[in-house]
Amino acid sequence: MMLRPRTTAWSQALLSGAFLLGLSAGGAYAADITITMAAPDWPPTRFMKEEFDKSYKSPDGHTTKLDMDFIPWPSFYERVAASLTSGEQKYQMIVTDSQWLGSFVEGGYYMDLTELMKADPELTAIMKDLHPVLVSAYSTYPHKTRQQLEEAGEWPAADTHYYGFPQFPDTYVTYYRKDLFCHEGEAKAFQEKYSRKLPCSYEDWQDVDWTDWKNIGEFFQRAKGAPLGDGTADDDFYGIAYQAGKGYDFSTMAVNAFIWQYGGGIWDETQAPTGQAEGVVNSDIAVKAFDHYLSMLPLMPPVAKTGQMDIFVVQDLFMQGKVAAIIDWVGLGEPVLDPKTSTVSDKSAFGPAPGLRKEDGKIDRTGNIGGQPFVLTTWNSDEVVKEALNVVKWWLNPETQKKFVANGGQSGLRSVMADPEYDGLRPWNRAHKEMLDWQRDVWHIPEFFELLTQQQEEFDKAITGQISGKEALDAVAKFQQQTLEDAGKIE
Amino acid sequence: MAVVSAQQVTGERSAGGFWAWLMAPERRGPLLVTPALLVLFVMNIFPLLWSFGLSFFNYRANRQTVPTFEGLQFYQRVLTDENVWERFQTTAIIVGSSVLVQLIVGFLLALMFARSFPLRRILLMLVLTPMMLSFVSVGVFFKLYYEPTFGLVSWALNHFMDERFVLLATPAGAIAGIVFADAWMWSPFVMLLVLAGLVSVPKYLYEAAEIDRASWWRRFSTITFPYIKSLLLLAVLFRTIETFKLFDIVYIITEGGPGSATETIAVYVYRQAFQFFRTSQSAALAYIILFVVIVLTNLYLYAVQRREQEVT
Repeated sequence: MMLRPRTTAWSQALLSGAFLLGLSAGGAYAADITITMAAPDWPPTRFMKEEFDKSYKSPDGHTTKLDMDFIPWPSFYERVAASLTSGEQKYQMIVTDSQWLGSFVEGGYYMDLTELMKADPELTAIMKDLHPVLVSAYSTYPHKTRQQLEEAGEWPAADTHYYGFPQFPDTYVTYYRKDLFCHEGEAKAFQEKYSRKLPCSYEDWQDVDWTDWKNIGEFFQRAKGAPLGDGTADDDFYGIAYQAGKGYDFSTMAVNAFIWQYGGGIWDETQAPTGQAEGVVNSDIAVKAFDHYLSMLPLMPPVAKTGQMDIFVVQDLFMQGKVAAIIDWVGLGEPVLDPKTSTVSDKSAFGPAPGLRKEDGKIDRTGNIGGQPFVLTTWNSDEVVKEALNVVKWWLNPETQKKFVANGGQSGLRSVMADPEYDGLRPWNRAHKEMLDWQRDVWHIPEFFELLTQQQEEFDKAITGQISGKEALDAVAKFQQQTLEDAGKIE
Repeated sequence: MAVVSAQQVTGERSAGGFWAWLMAPERRGPLLVTPALLVLFVMNIFPLLWSFGLSFFNYRANRQTVPTFEGLQFYQRVLTDENVWERFQTTAIIVGSSVLVQLIVGFLLALMFARSFPLRRILLMLVLTPMMLSFVSVGVFFKLYYEPTFGLVSWALNHFMDERFVLLATPAGAIAGIVFADAWMWSPFVMLLVLAGLVSVPKYLYEAAEIDRASWWRRFSTITFPYIKSLLLLAVLFRTIETFKLFDIVYIITEGGPGSATETIAVYVYRQAFQFFRTSQSAALAYIILFVVIVLTNLYLYAVQRREQEVT
């Protein structure tokens, strides 16, 4: 009897010691971590938050909270820029447009992840699995083209710094009304008028070039009361629409596609300091390409004349049943299929975006990559960096990515896109996969916003008919030459 | 004497404690004002001085380079920038047109509401509603109103035209759209001021004029106008200052387009500061605008003083 208390006391002491040790050990390795992430307020980031709350478990045993600061798109850049430059150090991770990389890397806000990626086999595997277009556009600064990365032949490429991972890779695709494009009477009339097949199936859309697109624009332009498909147009109806807006990059993205397809170029940051703006930006080929872009605007809904036809207006016009076909980002597709927001939810189908037919008959669909990477900021502690990279691995895990794709998102992982299930997960997946291979990106340098804003303004003058395409490109080239010379990017 | 005073003070403190000393009548006033002054200093005066300092340094908020002193270089750059003068011209056109429309509409509304008629109170409340709305809602409302595919303006005019009416497609149309939106919002303010003047005119003056068989114009020019002219001037100055800073409505309706046709100086400063991150240059431009506003404000204060003198 005398032993028992002594034994109990001894074992209790041992247990207490072990418990305390356990507590202190737990305190060292399992922490409460909050990752505040700046994110644009739209479905791809909303899904990420919902899925994180449902399925994320920290492999290091942390209790991790992803606190997303959802910011409306129109003020997203300004809000993020204001936060970073004010020094408040609010965000641990940021969903960023690829063009911002230069500005915020040079500012010292975005973390260089090259060494961490190299040291972590999982991250290395992710980087090797990502489509090279996305690695080039979303991750490298100073910018390396896809070609440069592929020529390097290894990962990481020599003298290359990597910063971001795809949060949501986006491309342009065609949205079209299958009730009109697959309508027997309309198809017959189109064939008679243009001696070309009215595209109906995905394969038909693979053969659509800008001439066909223009014909579609003419063909489906109907006045109120005119026959349209099985009924009559209840309002003026239009055949085509693509973006032509003054805000942010809402014409540059479309114009770049035309310029690249024609074989022209924008100022090439990878050629700095010898690459020039004047003579390139306003070359005869670029002017011809821009004029081609402008030539189709009169066939579009009248808002195109105001220079306010941005990606959301284009999407809205389609959802309201005012347009037969549009070119818009995959990221805006989900509301089109929702009967609560769209009058054409049951009539919509998707195909690759049109392109320029070359002499060999093949269609060049080169376009400007959309979507966003996400990055880590420089002020995070080692513990937060490690956990943020765990979040990256969770997000770019094939299982999470498939869920994301099934809910209107997209994946940049080649293994996910190669999955036989992938094409059937959402109706635009096949088009996205096909378009991804054609993508390039605009500049990533710190002066990008100055270049972009001035260019948008000049493009807007041309779009609204105040000046010609050549005058616009001449003004853009002159401004870019001066700005880039001042910045030491052109000698 | 100094020793005695110190003892007295110590005695006072120990008698009532620190709280009593602090709340003594001679300290209570400054103490109550201090928080407001602190907020004013932190939120207004310090940023003002800081940005004034920045306008003399080469500094960009998105770079981590050490600012270098450049003297008046950015002021020189701003004053020789043809874009700045172009934006000032655009602003002047919008200010001139908008204030003129506000004056005319506000004045006519005031003449109408100076008389009594059925439902006057309800109508008056409705007319005053626009100026109680936020700029953003007014901007969005007019953007949709002018939208050529499904907007009300195009829809209404489509009945009389072959082609869709697209107001915002031309510089003149876009300026007209902004002027109309701004005038819609602020004409009631002018009306309020003029109405205050109209109701302050003594009735006997009109009665005497009627006895003298004075014409409508004679009554207006010799009785009504002298009573309301200072208030009208006040309205002009106040609306000029406010319209000079016009940002929200322009940014929402046209984003400064087509091209830069409706980009006011306030929108231009915003672009320079928060899109181009030309921090020093935008600070210099902001101070030039501040100078213009101060001149206008002084005119406004002068008008107020004159009004006070007239009333007394």
